[in-house]
Amino acid sequence: MTKFLNVWQKVLTWVMATAVAVLIVPVSIQIFSRFTSLIPAYIWTEELSRFCFIWMVMLGATIGLRERLHFDVDVWPKLTPRRDALLRIVSNVFVLAYTGVMIWWGIEFTKFGWNQTSELADLPMWLIFIAWPLTGISWLMFLVEAFVRDLDLYRRNVALAAGEFA
Amino acid sequence: MMSATLTPGMAALVLFGAFFALLVARVPVAFALGLASLPLLLIEDRLSPMGMFNEMFKAYNSFILLAVPFFLLTANLMNVGGITERLMRLSRAMVGHFPGGLAQINILLSVFFAGISGSSTADAASQGKLFIDAQVKEGYDLSFSIAITAVSAVLAVIIPPSILMIVWGGVISTSIGAMYLAGVIPGLLIGLAQMATVHAYAVKRNYPVYPRSTFVEFLKAALVSIPALTTPFIIVGGILLGWFTATESAAIAVLYAAALSIFYYREMNLSKLYACIVETGKLSSVALFCVGTASVFGWLMAYYQIPKALLSNLQGLGLGITGTGFLIAAAFLVVGCFLDAIPAIIIVGTVMQPLAQACGMHPVSFAIIGIVSLAFGLVTPPYGLCLMISCAVAKVPMRYALKDTMIMLIPMLAVLCAIIIFPEIPLILPRLVAPELLK
Repeated sequence: MTKFLNVWQKVLTWVMATAVAVLIVPVSIQIFSRFTSLIPAYIWTEELSRFCFIWMVMLGATIGLRERLHFDVDVWPKLTPRRDALLRIVSNVFVLAYTGVMIWWGIEFTKFGWNQTSELADLPMWLIFIAWPLTGISWLMFLVEAFVRDLDLYRRNVALAAGEFA
Repeated sequence: MMSATLTPGMAALVLFGAFFALLVARVPVAFALGLASLPLLLIEDRLSPMGMFNEMFKAYNSFILLAVPFFLLTANLMNVGGITERLMRLSRAMVGHFPGGLAQINILLSVFFAGISGSSTADAASQGKLFIDAQVKEGYDLSFSIAITAVSAVLAVIIPPSILMIVWGGVISTSIGAMYLAGVIPGLLIGLAQMATVHAYAVKRNYPVYPRSTFVEFLKAALVSIPALTTPFIIVGGILLGWFTATESAAIAVLYAAALSIFYYREMNLSKLYACIVETGKLSSVALFCVGTASVFGWLMAYYQIPKALLSNLQGLGLGITGTGFLIAAAFLVVGCFLDAIPAIIIVGTVMQPLAQACGMHPVSFAIIGIVSLAFGLVTPPYGLCLMISCAVAKVPMRYALKDTMIMLIPMLAVLCAIIIFPEIPLILPRLVAPELLK
């Protein structure tokens, strides 16, 4: 499972990097077409950059969950490894709840955009909206991995603590 | 008027109660904002959780926010492409011989960096790696080194260009060109206040000094840095002349930094470039994902007319322009402790705007007070991103550097008070350069 997720994460990272790199192109075209007549002033540049941008955000947020990049507020004093694992499990239960929302209503959201097309380039909107349920599904896989790891950590540290008392 | 199932007070209780409870459970801020919005979306007949994604989509589907990844990419390109290194040499030639030389260089480099990139978190991350270890090796205290790196990083969003000003301009429709010009003097004042603080520390604790550079050394360093140092003039000038929009100016900054790294300083290769891009994508995405869920939270607040209920209490106080200024600063400082700056602008900026308008405060003064307060929020616990990043670089918990950070904040707060009491300070430069923007 971890091996598969490693590969999956690499793929997601690569696609996200492509989105970032592509982002700069339409914006540059937009600026330069204003000053030269070499490139026509395309109307779709702004829309294309916005759509790349949305995909970048969702992909980055997907990877961010596995790499624990999403910032949290730490109000707790220094915790023992066991309590730390327990708190991670608790917070991940809430993240799981949000993941459920992303998948369930994300699918509804995609269906909602099924027959819509974008204003300028006439792209089908579900291509964008589907980012939400897909993010949710990736999160679900990453969360299962995290739960297994944290439960294991918790159990081992319980055994350790019991050993100290014996 | 639409009628809601819950009163503003009850809705606020649900939103904020759930949000803070989730934060205590160490749920990441972005998820806490989304989950706290969920009960209301389920209770209210007219709303559905699907509306949450529609609201997030609307937040991301804005050309303005593109500036966030662009400025981060600029900063990353500067670091690996050799621009930061050249600017550091120049800083050393200028302030290395002051007491606490390396810490002074740290601040001056942040000022230069602020003029090219508009991202404080990028500044904290790169200068953390550059300075914290080096300062400790030279005999500076670790907590002092972390604190000065974190507080000097906040200059990046005050001195133009600035991500926060672009977002502010988009959310509260204020001239970005005017805000850029208005940010220069407060930013430099805060930088000076920090240098004075370092001076006091250095004299008291006997921190080391570098030998004074010769004039020739200074001239060499300056000449090499000139192409990099012209960036802020290109960006601000281009916006004022109407060549490009604020977001496009961020793209120009990327192209310019890339061109300098590849053709002028020649320190860029493909693997470095890929690492830069991945780093940029990840960091900007987690920040922006939070902007999306914060927009949902802010939209629900507006739906239940919570801001209006809050304001009706505040307007009864009958504060003057100075009193309102302090109230605005206090609100942003408190919110900045718990939220990142962009979501804070979306949620609180729009709430405070009618208040500023009512007392006759200039929109640009209001923006600068708000942005400077939010910038300070980047180093205040429990959620101060720049302090968190600096501490993470040094691998110590945040409370380790807290005391020195708070001491360094005092002179900075004094500058903020000066801006509130004399709201004309930020307006000096825009009046001189582009008075038509202030109307």
